[in-house]
Amino acid sequence: MRKWLGLALVVMLAATPVFAGKVAVVLDVGGRGDLSFNDMGFKGTDQAADDFGLEMVEVQSATAADYLPNLRNLARTREYDLIICVGFLLGDALDQAAAEFPNQKFAIIDSVVDAPNVMSIVFRENEMSALVGALGAMAAAHYGYPNVGVVLGIEIPVLYHFEAGYRFGIDWGNKKYAAVTGTAKPTGLLYTYTGSFSDIALGKAATEAMLAQGAVGVYNVAGPLGIGDLEAITEFHRNKGTKSGPPYYFGVDANQDWLGKAMHALASGMKRVDTGCYTAVKAVVEGTFVGGITSLGLAEGGVGISKFIDLLEFIDFGISAGALRLEDRDETLANWAVNRGTIPAWIWRAVDELEAGILDGTILVPTADTGAEMQAIRARYTLGAP
Amino acid sequence: MTTTDVRPRGRWVRGVHRTLTGLHPALESVLAAVVGLLVGAVLMYIWGYDPWRAYWALLRGAFGGDYEIASSIARGVPLIFTALTFSICLRAGMFNIGAEGQMYIGAAAAVCVAYFQLPAGLHLFVGILFAAVAGAVWSLGPALLKLTRGVSEVISTIMFNWISRFLVFYLVAFVLVDPRQAQRTVRIPVSARFPILVQGTDLSYAVFMAVAFALLVYVVLWHTAVGYEVRAAGLTPTAARYGGISIKRTMLLSFALGGVAAGLAGAATTMGLPPTFAIISGLPELMNLGFDGMAVAMVGRNHPIGILFAALFFGGLNAGGRVMQFYGSNPVPLEMVRVVMGAIVLAMAIPELIRLFPALAEAGRGLARTIARRKPATEEGA
Repeated sequence: MRKWLGLALVVMLAATPVFAGKVAVVLDVGGRGDLSFNDMGFKGTDQAADDFGLEMVEVQSATAADYLPNLRNLARTREYDLIICVGFLLGDALDQAAAEFPNQKFAIIDSVVDAPNVMSIVFRENEMSALVGALGAMAAAHYGYPNVGVVLGIEIPVLYHFEAGYRFGIDWGNKKYAAVTGTAKPTGLLYTYTGSFSDIALGKAATEAMLAQGAVGVYNVAGPLGIGDLEAITEFHRNKGTKSGPPYYFGVDANQDWLGKAMHALASGMKRVDTGCYTAVKAVVEGTFVGGITSLGLAEGGVGISKFIDLLEFIDFGISAGALRLEDRDETLANWAVNRGTIPAWIWRAVDELEAGILDGTILVPTADTGAEMQAIRARYTLGAP
Repeated sequence: MTTTDVRPRGRWVRGVHRTLTGLHPALESVLAAVVGLLVGAVLMYIWGYDPWRAYWALLRGAFGGDYEIASSIARGVPLIFTALTFSICLRAGMFNIGAEGQMYIGAAAAVCVAYFQLPAGLHLFVGILFAAVAGAVWSLGPALLKLTRGVSEVISTIMFNWISRFLVFYLVAFVLVDPRQAQRTVRIPVSARFPILVQGTDLSYAVFMAVAFALLVYVVLWHTAVGYEVRAAGLTPTAARYGGISIKRTMLLSFALGGVAAGLAGAATTMGLPPTFAIISGLPELMNLGFDGMAVAMVGRNHPIGILFAALFFGGLNAGGRVMQFYGSNPVPLEMVRVVMGAIVLAMAIPELIRLFPALAEAGRGLARTIARRKPATEEGA
């Protein structure tokens, strides 16, 4: 017995990669504490550093003028096996740094830098947005709401992925609803590009307008503007005197289901920046690092629609960051279950069906990278627009 | 009992004060820096960081080699300009808090050169001119309000900062925007960029413009009749007026010159700052340079030559602060780095702040007068 244990231990030790390296993660001016993008970048890298026994340092940027010096300072030391840039704002700086330090391995989240030593990690946001869209469309039809909404930030290519997938998902949900119930109640789309990733009031105003036009829920695709979206929805419920049910809030990037004690947040289209960072570190440790684009979708666990297990993970994340009180944890979980229960089980099964279809490749979600491609998708899935 | 307790202590305080104020300015600055570093060290020690290693990282990161020194100078360049804005107006007896807003406008004006083509040198020159004129024009608002209506420049420049901030937000998002990269404006073409002085760093030829402008300000203020008038008006306005100096003229002049300096700060951070050579949405590369300039002016004793050294010191703090974040086994996070920087800067600024106290008090009284003047108007209305 003891011999076997010893052997197992030897095998385990041998299997553990011997790799005493260092990784650095460089954040943009948003910095830590956003409970979303930057915090997830940190979390993923930290997790990878723990798992592979690496040393990790975190470098924040006080201003945009620090991006390039931060990358240069780190690369000049020649100590780092990988430098991860979290956020597309660092793209220009990395473009230059990668050319100056061709032997340094870099990774960047959400941007494509064309250099042999840069791993550009992008996400197929269209896939999880399709799931959110399908859920919204079927919920709208179920409750007799004419529309479902989405509040977007600045009109940049990354956001086209979201809009394209959302449109496809709503269309899929409309067809599914007609097929299951035998009555066609096509849900329309209300969408607004607010032109901001920071002005919370714009999110609230856009959401209020959508709720007035009968939106069953609003999908936040503008980072912090979601706080405004949720505020508008919460006020709408207060005026109506309801505690759960439509209208719903759909979160983005992180699992935002726990926001507002999960009263109205039904689901989140998650973009796992942490998985992206983890993937990059893992590739370096295992020696499979190559420059070029690494696309993470549903199949790679890079994106997804929030499940109960994600809620548990991110609720603790919120508590550790001080954004949620520990004593509210149980109430949040209970609220979440009640709110989810307002959607019939067959709709949840339909969403799972769409997810399975995307995973096995039988359903292909369209995407858009340019204005022209986006126009084509808008023309294909008009969703109530004339 | 109490009187006997207080008197010796009072004498002791006066003695220390006399000793300190009698010091040579350079020695005074060194002493202030030492005090600041000590406070920073104590703060880091309390929160469990190794001050010795952290300061070693700061020093290495700021002045440890050619690359580090060039990076430090590069970071100081825009601060030279914004500090000059504050100092010129202070020498004329005004508190111009408007460098921040004037710099934004200057940066936006500099980006406009991307919309036409010119030969390399001329293109750059036109961009500098655009920024300088735009900064000066923007500074005229508070200047004219002060001259014609007696509005306190402290209030009006702060208000103008907000106006320009949102105006430039708008311009970046909707007018100057790059259609393919909506998070920033169009990039300034190569022909209108300051060439890089030290390859592999941020240091561009903009540094020469900064030093030249500081020397120009020095010559104008201390070696011309106009400069003499400006300084005289700043020291004692009533005596200057009695001596036949037009206070309005000196005020307008100093505001305009300050505006030019702030506009050039905008030019330096757009046309002379790699890698983007554009304004990013939310202005993250410009934000606070104008306010930091006020601290630089304080540390530099409101003298153009002093400002050059103070800006180098600030640039060094900034460049070294970046290195503190990853040097050694227990690196200092950016938040703590900024606390330490704040302690050092505050200590360095205190001597000049004390010297300026009478002027500050006068500005406060001016503010009170402005507010008091509104009262009769409302009474008339009622």
